[in-house]
Amino acid sequence: MTVGLSYAAVPLYRIFCQAYSYGGATSQADANDEVSKMKAIKDRPIKVRFNADVASSMQWNFKPQQTDITVVPGETALAFYTAKNPTDKQVIGISTYNVVPFEAGQYFNKIQCFCFEEQMLNPHEMVNMPVFFYIDPEFSEDPKMEYIDEIVLSYTFFEAKEGFQLPVPSYAK
Amino acid sequence: MSTAMTFGQKQFIPTPPDKGSFPLDHEGVCKNSMKRYLSCLFENNSNNSMCRMEAKEYLACRMEHNLMAKEKWPKLGFPEKEDQTDEAT
Repeated sequence: MTVGLSYAAVPLYRIFCQAYSYGGATSQADANDEVSKMKAIKDRPIKVRFNADVASSMQWNFKPQQTDITVVPGETALAFYTAKNPTDKQVIGISTYNVVPFEAGQYFNKIQCFCFEEQMLNPHEMVNMPVFFYIDPEFSEDPKMEYIDEIVLSYTFFEAKEGFQLPVPSYAK
Repeated sequence: MSTAMTFGQKQFIPTPPDKGSFPLDHEGVCKNSMKRYLSCLFENNSNNSMCRMEAKEYLACRMEHNLMAKEKWPKLGFPEKEDQTDEAT
């Protein structure tokens, strides 16, 4: 039920995002203050691996530009994916993402990326898609995270068609 | 996407990014900055801490070409010395 609601947030977020260009102002103020105050925790390196998938009907070639990056909590990091449209027509994609292990996902903060909004690629066009993120410094204080030193970030692209909704697992309804 | 979760296990809920979505760099204006950043990572064993300058350069390129909302560096996690002023216009 909650998952269904969160996926319903996608089109709502898209409308909101288009109206305000770069995300909501209110939540941004809190996030930005947190970012400017946080300190990098240098003795707690985490390897973030990058994964890229496309839905079977989606024809883009989508892959990460780096297999992994070693980050530390509290330090912002930049990563790139590349998407290419090999077809002869415009294709609009929309992506979602996942973080494993599940418990680490709450500490994964995206400042800016390319997910949830429709992205249009012209025929034979290739673009670089950045993800700008950080691991919350509180990660290093969570005893459950003590043995976690690897996180996998997976993005999946779907083709955005009329009436398309990002898929929700059946058992979640 | 991870859908191999057994029934009853907690489901990961994706959240939208704080500052929304990056506009696509269709013309590749910041491609060189990106390449410099990726080379830096490659040379430094994919260590993010060693490539902060290159990351900052890439984001500066985006801001310069209206591919990213201008933002003060501390708010993006790049602490600034007092005498520098990279303020949002």
